[in-house]
Amino acid sequence: MSSSQLIKKFDTDFTNEVIEYGSKFFEDVENVRSCIQCATCTGSCPSGRETAWRVRKLIRQVQLGLKNAAIKNDVIWDCTTCFSCQERCPRLIPVTDVVRTVRNIAVRNGIMLPRHVQVAGLLIKYGHAVPINDETKAVRKEIGLSELPPTVHSFPDALGEVKKLLDGTGFTKLIEEASKGVQK
Amino acid sequence: MSDNKRGRIGVFVCHCGHNIAGVVDVQAVIDEISKLPDVYCVDHVYMCSKSGLNLIKEKVAEEKLDKVVIAACTPKLHEKLFQKTLEEAGLNRYLLSQANIREQCSWVHKANPRKATLKAIDLTKMAVAKARLLQEQGKVEVPVEKAVLVVGGGVAGITAALNLADLGHKVYLVEREPSIGGHMAMLDKVFPTRDCSICILGPLMVEVGRHPNIELITYAEVTKASGWIGNFEVEITKHPRFIKEDECTGCGVCAEFCPVEVPSEFDQNLGTRKAVYLPFPQAVPLVYTIDPEHCIGCRACEAVCEREAVDLSQKEEKIKVKVGAILIATGYETFNPAEKRNLGYGVFKNVVTALELERMLSPSGPTMGEVVRPSDGVTPKRIVFVQCVGSRDESVGRTYCSRVCCTYAVKQALELKERIPGAEVYIFYQDMRTFGKGFEELYREALRERVRFVRGLVSKVVEDGKTRNLIVRAEDTLLGVPVEAEADLVVLSVGMVPSKGTERLLFVLNVPVSEEGFVMEAHPKLRPVETQIPGIFVAGCAQGPKDIQDSVAQANAAASKISALLSRGVVELEPYVPIVDGEVCIRCGLCVAACDKDVLKLDKERGVEVKGVGCVGCGACAGACPTGAIQISLLSDEMIRAQIDAVLEEKKEYPLVVGFLCNWCAYNAADMAGVAKIQYPTNMRAIWVPCTGRVNPLLILEALEKGADGVLVLGCYPQDCHYRTGFDKAKRRVESLRELLRVAGIDPRRVRIESMAASEGKKLAVVVKEFVEELKKLPVLGGELVRVAEARR
Amino acid sequence: MSKYAYFLGCLTPNRYPGIEAATIDLLRMFDIELEYMKGTSCCPAPGVFGSFDLETWLTVAARNITIAEEMGRDITLTCNGCFATLQEADHILKHNRDLLKTINGHLSKIGREYKGTSSVVHVIEILYNDIGPERISDMVVQPLDGVKVACHYGCHFLKPSSVRQRGNPENPTILEELVEAVGATPVDYRDKGMCCGAGGGVRAGKIDVALEMTRKKIEAMNEAEADCVTTPCVFCQFQFDMGQTEINNKLGADKYHLPVVFITQLIGLALGLSPRRMGLHRHRIPVKPLLDKIFA
Repeated sequence: MSSSQLIKKFDTDFTNEVIEYGSKFFEDVENVRSCIQCATCTGSCPSGRETAWRVRKLIRQVQLGLKNAAIKNDVIWDCTTCFSCQERCPRLIPVTDVVRTVRNIAVRNGIMLPRHVQVAGLLIKYGHAVPINDETKAVRKEIGLSELPPTVHSFPDALGEVKKLLDGTGFTKLIEEASKGVQK
Repeated sequence: MSDNKRGRIGVFVCHCGHNIAGVVDVQAVIDEISKLPDVYCVDHVYMCSKSGLNLIKEKVAEEKLDKVVIAACTPKLHEKLFQKTLEEAGLNRYLLSQANIREQCSWVHKANPRKATLKAIDLTKMAVAKARLLQEQGKVEVPVEKAVLVVGGGVAGITAALNLADLGHKVYLVEREPSIGGHMAMLDKVFPTRDCSICILGPLMVEVGRHPNIELITYAEVTKASGWIGNFEVEITKHPRFIKEDECTGCGVCAEFCPVEVPSEFDQNLGTRKAVYLPFPQAVPLVYTIDPEHCIGCRACEAVCEREAVDLSQKEEKIKVKVGAILIATGYETFNPAEKRNLGYGVFKNVVTALELERMLSPSGPTMGEVVRPSDGVTPKRIVFVQCVGSRDESVGRTYCSRVCCTYAVKQALELKERIPGAEVYIFYQDMRTFGKGFEELYREALRERVRFVRGLVSKVVEDGKTRNLIVRAEDTLLGVPVEAEADLVVLSVGMVPSKGTERLLFVLNVPVSEEGFVMEAHPKLRPVETQIPGIFVAGCAQGPKDIQDSVAQANAAASKISALLSRGVVELEPYVPIVDGEVCIRCGLCVAACDKDVLKLDKERGVEVKGVGCVGCGACAGACPTGAIQISLLSDEMIRAQIDAVLEEKKEYPLVVGFLCNWCAYNAADMAGVAKIQYPTNMRAIWVPCTGRVNPLLILEALEKGADGVLVLGCYPQDCHYRTGFDKAKRRVESLRELLRVAGIDPRRVRIESMAASEGKKLAVVVKEFVEELKKLPVLGGELVRVAEARR
Repeated sequence: MSKYAYFLGCLTPNRYPGIEAATIDLLRMFDIELEYMKGTSCCPAPGVFGSFDLETWLTVAARNITIAEEMGRDITLTCNGCFATLQEADHILKHNRDLLKTINGHLSKIGREYKGTSSVVHVIEILYNDIGPERISDMVVQPLDGVKVACHYGCHFLKPSSVRQRGNPENPTILEELVEAVGATPVDYRDKGMCCGAGGGVRAGKIDVALEMTRKKIEAMNEAEADCVTTPCVFCQFQFDMGQTEINNKLGADKYHLPVVFITQLIGLALGLSPRRMGLHRHRIPVKPLLDKIFA
């Protein structure tokens, strides 16, 4: 990206993309169009107090169709999805759902944090984002539980089901592609 | 009568600039309509303009026209104007029929000019068909009762009452509280001049109290109303105040001896009053009131009152008055900020509303004009204002701007700066709307006086448990930085909401309200102080949030409108006369049972007879008649049938929907959809009805037989029905009809009845859209082929 | 005896098995049996996988729900993340026919179908609604008198309220009521409603941001002189417990050591469950000071 801050063109394609994609999963996403930048969201944001993340600005970028500004700035990954903004929005904009939507679009454009690629890899490999380790196995045994929990860890067929689903939805491929972008 | 049927009809199609012609192909409409027999058709860019009206008059003469059809905007807008033009052209005003091709066509079908044009042709054909059956009607004039009822004794009601009384009219002013004065009496100073509120209101209140033409009825509510413009009968229920109003001198000795102390409503519960009390020193009437909820019956007041004014045996009193007009001036309530739980009102003591602050600022208020923290009585040094509490906020169902909060916050901030040396004042806002004369100057003054404005709404108020100080969180959007302000006192700039009293009154008077619950004006620009009910007017915040200047201006406007009505002395009523054909009448009495107004009488020999006046033209009788023997003059079965035929002789849409739209709600909702440009499918052809109770199920059946794919009956919510029971009747009839259809093997989903408010344009659009979608899923009725006019051409 | 299907998720069985043991034992005392859901995977975590690909997130969640449907039981769980995923997935699939078709299309490849017959109930709801503070109070053998507890709800228990439909999330009280039921004292602290910092993939992606938020919360709890923090979310527990250790490591000083106990562990202590069985000795931040205060 060039360092110039000059905006020469507003593009409604991204606005429509976010609304269309988000509306597949969430209600009222089209309300982003009625944002008046009152900042109840940013004032509520616990992450924004520590970081440069301004959820209000993301909504603005969505309104104006500034796709690159929205998805390429990794502040969007500072949101803890605590939903405080969404709860308080006077315009009934599902703010956090918009964040989730924009993140999905970022991933589809090959943009992910390196650590997130790793976490995704754990799910693909083990069926758990936090798989068991030797230390916990010992604790489980010590307090009278089975050494391995009765999850996919104990049932290889079940893990097979999960892997098949991850392939079927295209997730495995999606992460593969995104990881290339991250390596670059 | 037969002459009328052969009459030559002039059809005048309006372009309305681009409003109609930008979507509808006006020339195509003229071409089609000109094919009709005995019709002359012509267009004009603006039919309502002087040259448009002249065109009508010229053509009536030149072309020897007997009837006039105008295809233009909604009849609700210019019907009277066009009627007058007909009269000027020498025609009876009731020989006019209108096609609504703007609100209900071009404005709502922008994306489909082709279909919109076909619909406009149909609507105009329907109007022509109806026009062929129109007959001359005589004028019905009734005398006007030379008195007016003003409901609500705030600044709007006071202003209007004084105005009307000065003009010589008898005024009944009814106030719910023990004293008139309303919210304005609670205010310390008023913007933008910052002059003392009670100092300007007080004298007017006193004048009301002693004006010979004003009968002031306080501590009372309007509980019943009937009649029509010029002739309303109203029942007022006066609550017992247990003090004889004529005897009490307002000396206050009773209160001195009263042992019961309760929070004072007038002081927003910040101060106290006794169980026998005067709400505030300047109260009018200057009469004490015993509050039965808190009185312990010790009779100390009775013992000390030298005038023996205390009367604990007083009962509720019903007062009946006859008036020619009613003015609604019932004001507003402030939004209850406890609904916004993130702001801590009701939980944290030092979070107060602007009205509470106003009482503290008032020299006669609970703190004698000193601003203190409710938690400890200490003078606050850091004060934060939170704007838009209950305004522009969909999460609490308040979408509108309350219009006064920005400027009152600025005024209060300046007041605080002046009274508390060294005070820091912050105003957190989203937009500063200081739009009125002198308001922006006040804003500028506040900036210069170092009131700090932060652009960002407050998202959370947190209390420090030890100090009871408040931490206010927001973002300064202009810097893009989150901010925290520690405050001693947080003031919530609460918005205006319709008062509960207004709600009840509107129910009694049956006046349509907007989505927000404020009184809907007859036209927002042209008839701003008239309601949808002739003879009932509105002023002040009952109509919507506004400041004192605007309330007073509106009250003056309403007074002049009312005065015009009362001074005229007579009023013309719509000719509502049911006509009974004794030959066809089978003496079943269903119409008599359907009539709420008791206008009909069943005579076994002569059939049904009309007795006296009082008919309101709802048409429930005609809707009930199994043989078509009883008809209302404004809309006969024949006129409805003619409109159905006009549409179905050549079906231009699939599915084609015949809609019956009630005059009071659904027809207005359709117009509202037009004004708001809410788009919906073109498939409906609307027939105006005075009430859904007018719709005879046999006509619905006829529409289906003749090829309509579905019929919509759209009316009011049952509780809003202008005729009280019309919608209920329609609903029952439609339900029975659906059952009948089911038995006959016709899908009952083809007939649907729905309720909507006059303000619900969106709902109308949704109902039509869903109905059309549903009809598309059904097999073609009767298997007949759809003849799309264009395809044939 | 009523039965629930117990959805374990990842962190409970794989990092805090003591919560698993405590919850099973505690509910059994009230005749509620938790049956394991066999072969479940990660819920999958809402903040990360929901942010990566919503369709995948819903598909895997739906698979997990079908396991409870086969058991004919409602689901309960000990993690707000799992709750967020399963409850929202259930909500979406019950309200969105198009998506239901898509997701069941994926599930059909593994011979499964989401039917919507099991509802998702947070374990804290079982404690509060099914059992109730009074019955819990009746069973106390070791009152937690004088113990000051900082309650932390975690964001996803009540938010988004339009999906959860469990009331206004601004000032909830049920956790405090449960704490009071066992004799302890809930303490008010600044920013009680604030996030622990871990959610939304922030812990995984930007640990420093997550830890700074955690530190602020712990500071506020310390200011209020809390003896421990309690939560109904294992992920928040992980963030507070592991997080304090991580902050200390970053600072190179043992500055933060507020004990972190799960709500079922806290109640378990008062109802006589063994601290060892509940795995309290294996928490990162020693729970011993709290135990000393209770058993003094």
